[in-house]
Amino acid sequence: MRKVWAVIRREFIERVRTKWFWVSAILGPVLFAGIIVFQIMQSVGGGVRNIAVVDTGKLGYGTRIVEALGASRTIRADGVKLGPAVLDSLTSLVETKQLNGFLIVGDSLPTDGEAEYRASNLSLQTIEELQRTLNRVVEKARLEGKGVNPTVVDWAQALRVTLDQKKCQRGACTKESAGESFILAYVMAILLFMAILLYGVNVMSSVLEEKTTRIIEVLVSSLRPFQLMLGKVVGAGAVSFFQFVIWGVSARVLISLRVPIARALGADAASAQNITLPHVPFATLAVFMAFFLGGFLLYSSMFAAVGAMSSNEQEARQAQQPVTYLLMISYFSIIGLTNDPSSTFARTLSMVPFTSPIATPVRWTAGSMGTVELAASLVLLLLGIVGVTWVAARIYRVGILMTGKRPTMKELVRWVRTA
Amino acid sequence: MAEPVIVDRVTKRFAGHTAVDALSLSVPSGIIYGLLGPNGAGKTTTIRMIMDIYEPDSGVVRLFGQVGGGRQHSAHIGYLPEERGLYPKMRVLDVLVFLAEAKGVARGVAREKASTWLDRLGLADWRMRKVSDLSKGMQQKVQFISAILHDPDLIILDEPFSGLDPVNSQVLRDSVVEYRRAGKTVLFSTHIMEHAEQLCDRLCIIARGKKLIDGTLAEVKSTHGGKHVIVAFDGSQGGAQQIFADRRLVAKIQDFGQQAELELALGADAQEILRALVGSGARLARFELASPSLHKIFVDLVGPEAATPAATGGNGGARA
Repeated sequence: MRKVWAVIRREFIERVRTKWFWVSAILGPVLFAGIIVFQIMQSVGGGVRNIAVVDTGKLGYGTRIVEALGASRTIRADGVKLGPAVLDSLTSLVETKQLNGFLIVGDSLPTDGEAEYRASNLSLQTIEELQRTLNRVVEKARLEGKGVNPTVVDWAQALRVTLDQKKCQRGACTKESAGESFILAYVMAILLFMAILLYGVNVMSSVLEEKTTRIIEVLVSSLRPFQLMLGKVVGAGAVSFFQFVIWGVSARVLISLRVPIARALGADAASAQNITLPHVPFATLAVFMAFFLGGFLLYSSMFAAVGAMSSNEQEARQAQQPVTYLLMISYFSIIGLTNDPSSTFARTLSMVPFTSPIATPVRWTAGSMGTVELAASLVLLLLGIVGVTWVAARIYRVGILMTGKRPTMKELVRWVRTA
Repeated sequence: MAEPVIVDRVTKRFAGHTAVDALSLSVPSGIIYGLLGPNGAGKTTTIRMIMDIYEPDSGVVRLFGQVGGGRQHSAHIGYLPEERGLYPKMRVLDVLVFLAEAKGVARGVAREKASTWLDRLGLADWRMRKVSDLSKGMQQKVQFISAILHDPDLIILDEPFSGLDPVNSQVLRDSVVEYRRAGKTVLFSTHIMEHAEQLCDRLCIIARGKKLIDGTLAEVKSTHGGKHVIVAFDGSQGGAQQIFADRRLVAKIQDFGQQAELELALGADAQEILRALVGSGARLARFELASPSLHKIFVDLVGPEAATPAATGGNGGARA
């Protein structure tokens, strides 16, 4: 066991010492910080919009709208009387960015419900707020026209319903929007795919390095080949786990620092509060980790066998293709999986050990998988790992000491039989 | 104490070609044992079977009295493979520590010993450098340290002197002798007879996977051939060629021009040859009764076979 530990440690330390590890470890948080800054900057830019309200009529709807917008935190409106060339001068103000936009309303507003907004930048948030305000003003004017007391109207309009969104799955309901869980499932799938591929290939090149430098001979005379393979796979797995931890922790730290960051950028704290990480329940995290580990063991032992049967980089690149294709099936299914996680297609993928490491976490996150199905998927994956590792270890054992031409399929079968 | 290495009728085939054929040898404790043979004779394959890298098709390897190859005994065996290899991107000290750990040495002990050895072989300044920064000779030294770092009772060196300059070769030879003096056992393979003659207590010559002869250096010399005479000329050779051609006197001759090694015919007297040479007007610088050199024995034994290259393995990796 101490020998396996030595292999694990070597694999871990040598990988963590490489430039590439730190480039990607730092790139993650930098990217994440960029997203936060971008979002804050956007809210600073869209913080308060200055608009003009042009009233083409005499009934004073313009003034009413300006009054109604007085309570808005994001729009500051000024009333403008219609005069000669007013629209042209407003347009030029918009063009020179002194004004964000202007609203044109007439006396027919409560009857035909038409208004016009001109702006250099049609932000969704502003449009929604203008629409809400206009609807309210029109509603009030129409009710008053039918003789309803304005204070009654005000009272009626004062209450707004807030819709609390919760997602129910597996007997528990959590506060999570539909979009959030979709994005979470998608991001998870991509992360799993990337990590399994990158670190699986790492295992392969590490095996190949020992083979091409011939150090394997000394190693095999001190360790059993299986100990060596095990140490390698676990070591590389630990590196990728470490990478995830760095990313996760830095994301948490950056999120907790979002208010100071916003202040430093001159934005108000409120704009930063809106930036949150998607809520990840503990069970989801556990499923993610379990299937990442399983998928990693499954694929990296295959990659180790590929490394062992090749004698140079070029050969290895060719020999790894079947393994990569197997992994690609999951990758190309991600969209289908996230769109309809309860389809027969998705169900099948979550049961096959070669695709379940990605399919099962996606289906679980989307809430379309029960605990029984999850357990079945996990058991099948474990069986798959045992079977694949058994075959891979045999190929590895014979392959690492072979030089010369790559084995044919027939020879591989013989290796597995006789090893 | 049980003999460190016993190879008992071991055979290894690669894709129809027999690399080692029912080979038996035994290495007693505390000596330097030479495994000699031409290229392709099966030396490396034999060593690899001893080291548990290959499994014999038949036959048994016993190490320290126990059945089984080098892996179970890795803590007591140092191994320098024919094809040297270290992790090029690792630091020198880290490689040494890792390789020692793989043999079961505790990390702290390994660090300490590695530093001591690096100091001793003049590589102290290089311990934090990458292996790839080292010259080839330095890498060989590091490799040698990795073989002996865990203070093994038996060291197995496959062609240890190939690729070494005379200075480093001498350093290595000194270490080997020092090892034997400390009561340890050394098994090494070579095809350079001078090294074998200088170092070996016992030896075994193999060709085409089969043993041709083994025993102590003296035994091998006495069992092979008869009396030998070394003749060196100082100018005129007189009628030497005629005398050498006389099959009643000389059974075999290796003529080097100014020097020749003669194997006397059965019943021939060296003094008769000396008289004949002097009588024929040859000027002699040297006339010496000698036992045959290992070189001569080797060439006599494997000569015709060594000239025809042994079949190479079909399935790769089967080089001997």
